[in-house]
Amino acid sequence: MEFYLKVLEITSLYTILVLGAYLMTGLTGLFSLGQGGFVSIGAYTAAIAFLHFHLPFPVAILLAILMGSLVGFLIGIPTLRLHRDYFLLVTFGFGEMVRAALLHLAQLTGGALGIAGIPQLVGLPMILISILLITFLISSLKGTRFGRNCIAIRDDELAASLMGINVYSHKMKVFILSSAITAYGGALYAFVIMFIEPNLFNWLESAKLIVITFVGGVNSITGAIITSVVYYSFGEFFRFVDVWRDVLLAVAVLFVTIFRSGGIFGSWEFSLKKIFRWISKGIS
Amino acid sequence: MDTSVFVQQLFNGISLGGVYALEAVGFGLIFNILKFSNFSHSGVVAICAYFGFFVSKYVYPNFIVTFVMTTLFGGFVGVAIEKLIFRPIRLKGAPLTLFLVNSITAAMLVQQFFAATLGADYYPYPVFLKQTSLHIGTLAVSKTYVLMLGITAVVLLLLTYILKRTKIGIALRAASTDIRTPSLMGINVDFIISVAFFMAGALGGITGYLLGMTYSVDPFIGSMILKGIIAAIIGGMGSLGGGVVAGLLLGVVESFLIGEIGASLTQIVIYSAIFVLLLIRPEGIAGKRYVIKA
Repeated sequence: MEFYLKVLEITSLYTILVLGAYLMTGLTGLFSLGQGGFVSIGAYTAAIAFLHFHLPFPVAILLAILMGSLVGFLIGIPTLRLHRDYFLLVTFGFGEMVRAALLHLAQLTGGALGIAGIPQLVGLPMILISILLITFLISSLKGTRFGRNCIAIRDDELAASLMGINVYSHKMKVFILSSAITAYGGALYAFVIMFIEPNLFNWLESAKLIVITFVGGVNSITGAIITSVVYYSFGEFFRFVDVWRDVLLAVAVLFVTIFRSGGIFGSWEFSLKKIFRWISKGIS
Repeated sequence: MDTSVFVQQLFNGISLGGVYALEAVGFGLIFNILKFSNFSHSGVVAICAYFGFFVSKYVYPNFIVTFVMTTLFGGFVGVAIEKLIFRPIRLKGAPLTLFLVNSITAAMLVQQFFAATLGADYYPYPVFLKQTSLHIGTLAVSKTYVLMLGITAVVLLLLTYILKRTKIGIALRAASTDIRTPSLMGINVDFIISVAFFMAGALGGITGYLLGMTYSVDPFIGSMILKGIIAAIIGGMGSLGGGVVAGLLLGVVESFLIGEIGASLTQIVIYSAIFVLLLIRPEGIAGKRYVIKA
């Protein structure tokens, strides 16, 4: 039981990160390989604030979120005006830069040794509640004007701007929100795993987040969550084939993109309403 | 810093920058035609680095033979990747984002495959050249670097000739301007795309071989292409000449900075410089402003 709870914990942590990536890549079509940078920023900010500056735990988490949003804003200023591929590559550089900076600022971050001895202050209930809240936030955003604008930008930026959407400022809002969610995930990560180091989130981890949203289907939050849960728990259950896990994921992705380009789940969404309707139909 | 150290640093920087330039050109060739960032190029580089290692270690330990073999092999890997991964979605008319996802996935696949099969061990190439250095006056330059620079120069000149003078090169450039029109002129666009992937793959093979020879091979060698991609951004994607200049520049700047302020700070300085550059000139040094058309 202990083991399953641990698996659920780790899987849920990563699912928060996937949700952050879904908001950017799935909903708005911004490809960022710098998500790992925001995870690190969140994790390190929270850990340093808590351990070095002895701030209370909620403040440390809040600080991590603020830091994530601030860095997101600063990075967004030059990059969000760029064409998609440039954006991807520059965020890639950003992720690597964060890694290099963490290694360099050894006095504060412990350099390559990382930070150990972070107390485990976050339990499963808090992670699950966070996931529920974030999922609720994103899925309700999807139905509002804000979310529809996101989808419009994803599908055709030019057309979206002609319809009166301020593409740049809208992207900025999404980017900041996503950075905040990702940094929050990183902060939780620090207080669950109790150890962080600069190489935890390299570009490959960021790439996985994007790839998972594509396997699940860019139009389906449910798809992103289910794919993420399957992928990350698979890695925990089958430790002995762990090295092959990413190879399998990559092959699966290629099959999905080639044969079912809308993603496994297409635009199907889990909704309680539909289930209630279905049940009530069955009764009557 | 006295003159001889300066010249030596400059020389090392240029030969390293030459490899970045090769990466940038291999990357740019595909970007020009299909308009997506081909991350799978790092996969080609990694595969070829391993291929070069195994061939030169177990098959025939001769520099020229293995070098040519690796180059050709790289070309075929490029074509295979195109046929397997990009052609199916291209024929379906998939959006560009899907190309991007597939190229990232391919890079991931190759890296994790090598990490899973060969482990994170280092494979050093056999020593073709005794680690001696040439002495020109008071200068001492490593022979490997001289070789690298020579190969890079020849390859880039050859590529320029192919692109500017041969029929296939002209067709390639035509397809870069507009992918649809050349097919109306009797050019087989599918074939041209395969040629582009072959050329990019061959460049990847050369890059992989040179990188493997200079450092040693490990599953993460593909990520060295990052520098080439950065060069491509600085130079302006779509401009091969810009990529070459930026690659050389990056190599030189890097080699001086590492000497002055150390390796980790160098990375930070370079990335920050890119942010500033993109803030001022989003299209890179020599790139054209990317106009979104309906």
